[in-house]
Amino acid sequence: MDVLVQLILNGIMLGAMYAIISVGLTLIFGIVRVVNFAHGEFLMVGMYAVYLLSHHFGLHPYVSAVPMVLMLFAIGALVQRFIIQPLLGADEHIQIFATVGLSTALINLALLIFGADLYSVQEPGLRKPLSIGGYTVLYAQVVIFVSALVLVAGLHLFMQKTPLGRAIRATAQNRNAAQLMGVRVDRIYVIAFGLGAACVGLASALISPLFPVTPTIGTYFVLTAFVVVVLGGMRSMYGAFLGAMIIGIVDSLSGYYIAPDLKEVVYFAIFILILIFKPTGLFGFGRGTE
Amino acid sequence: MLKVSNVTAGYGRTVILQDVSIEVGRGEVVTIIGANGAGKTTLLRAISGLVKPTAGRITFDGVDIAGMAPADIVGRGLIQVPEARQLFPVMSVRDNVLMGAYHPAAREGAERRFAEVLELFPRIRERLDQLAGSLSGGEQQMVAIARGLMANPKLLMLDEPSLGLAPIIVQQMFGIVDRICEMGTTVLLVEQKAFHALKIAHRAYVIENGRIALENTGAGMLADPHIKTAYLGI
Amino acid sequence: MTVRVSLSEAPPAGRLAAFLAWLGNPRVYMALAALSLLLVVPIVIDSPFIVHVFVTICVFAGLSTAWNIVGGYAGQLSLGHMVFYGIGAYTTALLIQHYELMPWLGMWVGAALSVVLSVCIGYPCFRLRGPFFALATIAFLEVVRLLAIHFNGFTGGSAGLIVPLKLGWAWMIFQDKINYLYIAFGLLLATLAVSYAIRTSRLGYYLIAVREREDAASAAGISNTAAKLKAAMISAALTSLFGSFHAMYLTFLEPETMFSLSGSVSVAMFALIGGLGTVAGPLLGTVLVVPIAELARGWLGASANGLHGFVYGVVLVLITLTLPGGLVGTFGPRVTALIDRLPGRRAAPDREEPALRKIDGKPGEPVLETRDLVMKFGGLTATDHVSITLRRGEILGVIGPNGAGKTTVFNQMSGFLRPTSGTVVVYDAAGRPVMPTRPDEFARLGVGRTFQIVQPFGKLTVIENIMIGAFMRHASVEDARAAALRVARLVGLLHVKDVEARNLPIGDLKRLEVARTLATEPSILLLDEVMAGQNQADTQKMVELIRAIRDTGVTVIAIEHNMQAIMSLSDRIVVIDSGKVIAQGDPREVVRNRRVIEAYLGEDFVDAQGL
Repeated sequence: MDVLVQLILNGIMLGAMYAIISVGLTLIFGIVRVVNFAHGEFLMVGMYAVYLLSHHFGLHPYVSAVPMVLMLFAIGALVQRFIIQPLLGADEHIQIFATVGLSTALINLALLIFGADLYSVQEPGLRKPLSIGGYTVLYAQVVIFVSALVLVAGLHLFMQKTPLGRAIRATAQNRNAAQLMGVRVDRIYVIAFGLGAACVGLASALISPLFPVTPTIGTYFVLTAFVVVVLGGMRSMYGAFLGAMIIGIVDSLSGYYIAPDLKEVVYFAIFILILIFKPTGLFGFGRGTE
Repeated sequence: MLKVSNVTAGYGRTVILQDVSIEVGRGEVVTIIGANGAGKTTLLRAISGLVKPTAGRITFDGVDIAGMAPADIVGRGLIQVPEARQLFPVMSVRDNVLMGAYHPAAREGAERRFAEVLELFPRIRERLDQLAGSLSGGEQQMVAIARGLMANPKLLMLDEPSLGLAPIIVQQMFGIVDRICEMGTTVLLVEQKAFHALKIAHRAYVIENGRIALENTGAGMLADPHIKTAYLGI
Repeated sequence: MTVRVSLSEAPPAGRLAAFLAWLGNPRVYMALAALSLLLVVPIVIDSPFIVHVFVTICVFAGLSTAWNIVGGYAGQLSLGHMVFYGIGAYTTALLIQHYELMPWLGMWVGAALSVVLSVCIGYPCFRLRGPFFALATIAFLEVVRLLAIHFNGFTGGSAGLIVPLKLGWAWMIFQDKINYLYIAFGLLLATLAVSYAIRTSRLGYYLIAVREREDAASAAGISNTAAKLKAAMISAALTSLFGSFHAMYLTFLEPETMFSLSGSVSVAMFALIGGLGTVAGPLLGTVLVVPIAELARGWLGASANGLHGFVYGVVLVLITLTLPGGLVGTFGPRVTALIDRLPGRRAAPDREEPALRKIDGKPGEPVLETRDLVMKFGGLTATDHVSITLRRGEILGVIGPNGAGKTTVFNQMSGFLRPTSGTVVVYDAAGRPVMPTRPDEFARLGVGRTFQIVQPFGKLTVIENIMIGAFMRHASVEDARAAALRVARLVGLLHVKDVEARNLPIGDLKRLEVARTLATEPSILLLDEVMAGQNQADTQKMVELIRAIRDTGVTVIAIEHNMQAIMSLSDRIVVIDSGKVIAQGDPREVVRNRRVIEAYLGEDFVDAQGL
């Protein structure tokens, strides 16, 4: 019983991490209607930057969250403006190739610059266990969990209460009508893509104390994020949050009860089954946005 | 106020509108009638900047707006209530209506207009917190018109407000259109149900196969036997 | 599947002559000359490194060509295609290790396994839209890779698997590397031949039709799933064969490289750079890009790790932004035109028209019935107990205001929507009642339909569009082309037959809609607003055309807003409003019906004009 609770707790902590990444992916897909295959590589870029800031300037990874969010927002906005926007009217496969190409280029650029070595941010304090009622979690995990909650709550308020948030939702739901309300949809797309990437900027700063960065770290995380997004109904950030929790718990349980190297097989199997049998996601958020 | 001169427009290489010219004067109610696929919606889309005309001029208040971004056209007070309502289905009715005043040019006085709009549509007041997608067709059309009014229109373009509505609701809808016209708003009304549109219009155009086929006063058009031929083939 | 090459149809005595004539075509001899360079250059230079580069080119060109069959022709963007390559490699290597089975045989076992897997992936996943299909294929690749690592007792796991080193042709392992090139080149030639044969056969046209517009394809009698599955199976088998060969060449397998995501992306990328959906594109893309990577690796060594991948990625993004058609798609027509100026034999002239399908049966007997059709979308009842009987040889007009639900009824009558309740009965050639469910079944029973919003296959020429319909009754390309030409002449599209459909004006597109449907030689024709957007002269021609079609025994049901036309054309009229049939009968009487006038013009109109 104790093991099970601990495993579920681990899963929730893991899920919070996936949630931050997946919410970003969902924003981009839900609003711009583009699947960003380079999402994981945005994370990787962020993590290298966090490492460099920490290694050369001694900046605490949590402090670098601020520049990371800004930097990734800028990267996302630029990618939307100069790569995705010209392709919005193009065939879907061309859009896929564009972000796949971006992903390939970024992975290999990292390989060229940093090689295949692992680089870790040295903040041992954040990896200390914290005991909660007999169960243990790491300090950094708690920070991630709280950040994920704050992120979703903050985005919720932004989307519901501000005119810009309303305009973003309106654009996602009916691009044509949004234009007739005077919304400049191209600008909304740039902002949405930037926001989606900014989520990964936050994630990169929070994850760095726990995971060493490699050129392919993004692929590892983003494949999971895709599973989460599909589970959550693809366009809903609440769905993505719940989906992330489920995948985190599945990950944790199947790693323990089945085999550590087969946990991905389990959730890829879930992924394929959901895609085939319930493409609107588990929770029925799939039809709407936000 | 609005002058469309010799406009040709379409999608890709497919030409829908050919050499279309219409005019709407300040305070006028003008209607464009015609069969499905004649080009009515494309004309409104061209005026709103959603389709770029390949030829011709569109001026509004003396300014050439052909080729302007849709948002800038909205900012000038040229507002369209699109065909088939096109609400934001998973936003609340309140947020839908508020979206009408999204453009900075419409923010001033938005609260006062919000109150006026609720006055005009008591049904909407009851449903402010529901999702727009859960409303009936007639209620959705009211929200769409309310959303358009929130933009503080100098000229309101209504695209088939009766589309897909049950006959009783159609009557109500025309009642609302009447009231908006009585309030003094300049209106460009596109309709398939010709009779009512003609009855309230000062002037009317008939569009056939992407061209303006007839132009007359509303009353004059109503008596024109050609209308019935166009619609019923007898 | 029938892939027929015109060569095989010649009598035996004339085969050699036919072959020589085929060789005499400048397109053929130029292609063969260019291909032979892949063999000649490394033999002449004779350096192990160059041989290695050319083997790699042949393997990746082959993989890319195989991928293109499903990714290009069928438009199903698989990004996990290396799963078949890995299965080919592992199957062959393990069969040698455990059963001493020669790779020449083992590779076919691998191919068979890959075919089975391709069906397992394709059948459930083909319904997914672009990016989600791509994600699903990646997921399958990852699952197989992780399983290969997990079951390390069997596969060697992450540590890898060394192919037992038995030299000689029987075991496909050589000291002299040039032998590998012979095999790789042979495999590439075979793959290109398969790819070419598909592209120029009915299956090739079908795949493009399915890629461009699934609805129009099924209206032309194509089973979308069957077509895509055929492509996936052929592609998987070919990919697997290359995997088997490459395993023998590399002699060391590990899951990371055999089931590699980046490898899968590269293979797709070569095809995009060269030109998706073209025969030569994947080869061309590979020839241009692979040497850069291999040279960088050869010259700069480990310090350039990642350089080639970086270049790949950047090139990929640039291609999508500047040349989405790829090299062949962009420059192909110009180069072909140049080649065609070279001396040699030209393409064969068009052949004679095949016989038309005969329509039997007595005029006036029912050919199609809808019984109490109800269609609900959420709370909205779009079709409300509609019962219509269509009688052989009549022209039935369907009218009603915008949004009344006419097209929804058509969609149920042709299998595109399954009614919430009620049935659609079609009487087959023998007069037996049948209740088909899928659109392609309706089409094959002789129910042809057009779409209100035209559905041309934009990248195909007018005549090819019509051929997509004609293939339903004529399997061979020559027969289909001849039949399509006849339809083009009848409908008045002959003068634009070689124009790409996306460049047509709306009037011609409407006629093309009719032409593609007519080419399926239907016995029942459903026309959805084919006169909209036509000028008066063309409308008149269309009216005459529909009458002429009816006179060949075809039963016609037409939705139309052009009242003059439909009134003069129809034997009988059905009026639909708010999903219900509100009137039916003789055209003259129907338009005097008060309810009809009200539905169209509003209640008060009746009083206003004193009707």
